Amino acid sequence: MEQLFYYLKVSWFSIKRAPLPYMLTVLILSLGLGVFFSNATFYYRMNSDPLPDKSDKLFFPMLMLVPYQCSDCKPPPVLSYSNVAKLDVSTIPSAKAAMYSADGYLRQHAAQPPTPVTVRITQRDFFSMFDVPLLHGTIWADNQARDELLLSKATAEKILGRTDVVGQQLLLDDRLFTIIGVLDDWQMLPKLYDAYNRQYLNPVEDVYLPLESGYDYNYLSSTNSSTFDDADFRKLATDGRNKALHQLQYWVQLDTPAQQQAYRQFMANLVTDEKAAGRHPSAEANQLVMLRDIVRYFGGESADIKAFAIVTLLFLLVSVFNASHLSLNRYLSNQYEFSLRRALGANRSQLQMQLLVDMGLMSTFTLAGAAVIAYGCTKLMNSLWPANHLFAGWDVQLMLALAVLTLFCSYLVTLYPSLRASFGSLNKQLKE
Amino acid sequence: MITLTNLGKVFRTELIETHALREVNLQVNEGEFAALTGPSGSGKSTLLNILGTLESFDSGDYQLDGKSVKGLPDAALSKLRNEKIGFIFQSFNLIKDFSIYDNIELPLRYRGLKAAERKQRIEQALELVGLHARRDYLPGQLSGGQQQRVAIARAIAGQPRILLADEPTGNLDSLMARQVMELLEQINRQGCTILMVTHDPDQARRAGRNIQIIDGQLHDSTMYDPLAQHTA
Repeated sequence: MEQLFYYLKVSWFSIKRAPLPYMLTVLILSLGLGVFFSNATFYYRMNSDPLPDKSDKLFFPMLMLVPYQCSDCKPPPVLSYSNVAKLDVSTIPSAKAAMYSADGYLRQHAAQPPTPVTVRITQRDFFSMFDVPLLHGTIWADNQARDELLLSKATAEKILGRTDVVGQQLLLDDRLFTIIGVLDDWQMLPKLYDAYNRQYLNPVEDVYLPLESGYDYNYLSSTNSSTFDDADFRKLATDGRNKALHQLQYWVQLDTPAQQQAYRQFMANLVTDEKAAGRHPSAEANQLVMLRDIVRYFGGESADIKAFAIVTLLFLLVSVFNASHLSLNRYLSNQYEFSLRRALGANRSQLQMQLLVDMGLMSTFTLAGAAVIAYGCTKLMNSLWPANHLFAGWDVQLMLALAVLTLFCSYLVTLYPSLRASFGSLNKQLKE
Repeated sequence: MITLTNLGKVFRTELIETHALREVNLQVNEGEFAALTGPSGSGKSTLLNILGTLESFDSGDYQLDGKSVKGLPDAALSKLRNEKIGFIFQSFNLIKDFSIYDNIELPLRYRGLKAAERKQRIEQALELVGLHARRDYLPGQLSGGQQQRVAIARAIAGQPRILLADEPTGNLDSLMARQVMELLEQINRQGCTILMVTHDPDQARRAGRNIQIIDGQLHDSTMYDPLAQHTA
């Protein structure tokens, strides 16, 4: 320990001897790391797996069940009510839920001003499939229509001022609903169950309503709906159920490869039967996309974000190169001291230990600088692209990654200079 | 103690090859005080650096205490430098922002001595060079002569058996040079072997032995009578 303090003292004296080049080295490295880290955070969050235990078990089926001829078409990203009903017949999945999102206004009573809320209109398996935590109450007993809703914790606190509100009633778009459950803190990032059209960047919904009630009360989809016949999208309760009005996302849980294979076959059989019955003319083009692949399938990966990630990586490399150059100059100006230490009996491993302590000290300063710069960059990105703010959060894992990256970059920055200092000619510097 | 056999050193660049030392044969016994003299560029410093293992040689052999240093790994050479050899440089080579105490402590640190033993040795060395009261000074606060005495204290703190001094009085005025020489003689009397590069014929005479190098070859080796030297 005493020797460690000695090495720290030597490092500190070395910094004091030429503080400006040292500060410049740390600043350049911090800048490169900070910019890279803020972007890497965003990139990491966007590409993270919110359900690592299930992301290869949850599937998004899409059927080519549309009343028009198309040879090279992809199936529509959303299903009609009748398509879902046909898929729902299968007992292969261990869980299944249809869903869509809508907007609404919530208030406690008619005298209170309404609060705009996002609504997920779905079925009971949604909560188990996506590991939605429940703080109070329960979920719907079945998939029937009912005037019961669940609230997110934040919404309960916002509207009612507390979370233990099961049994209370609320006005959703001036219809009276009973609260049967309140979710615990939950933020699925990215929100992969709603990946089409980059909806996965948005936060999870405030209110959860049964699918059948949503159709009964004509809750229109706030994201994506298409009609392939004369269906009136405003008449969900009737046309929405009977005609080719596509707006439902549908997820199934298939736990084993055998289940997955069986379900693919089930989908193929379904489309073949429908075609034979004359309900669609297209060739089979069914899709069964895994949760972890859904963003890529819908082309939601932004080329801009990838390009920006590459640019920031290059910026980091340039920063490391520049910092290394500065560091080399600093070490060369101190090389006489290294030679002196070697002449007085320090071996290379003792010098390397000194350089490791130098590196540790530089890493500490750089980590602090990089964290400040990354924080600033993240704030800037949030103000420029507020929709992405959910993906800017740091956690222990990310901070550890930054620390490891800082250590690695600091090592790179000091590696070449340290080798030069350790293996340089001894007598030359001592004579000068 | 030191035996050089047909030792040669060549400096090569892309264009030229310079034979710094040719076929050098030398025997230095324990307790000797030898001066290395010769014109500039004759190879004195190169020889001193080879003796201090700061520089490698190309041919021949160098034996220290009967063991060849040729091919020794870095760790062994470092240990040898640390434990057996003390260096005194013309430009003192003190670390400017370290105190006198910390400068003297350097070789002892790398030997892995405990703090108490380091302290004892440093204080003994400071007593010997007469700078005990200035242990917390920085080198810049001392005169040139005092700085060289600090460098001597650093060299002897590790109790080496050989002191290699490269023009130790080259940057000093005559009074200070005399003080440094007296100090070296005192150290030599305590049994430490000293090899000193010098241009000063008087200092060479004060050493017990003068080894002349001309064009990389050992030209002459004169044994002065120490008694005559002291009476002179």
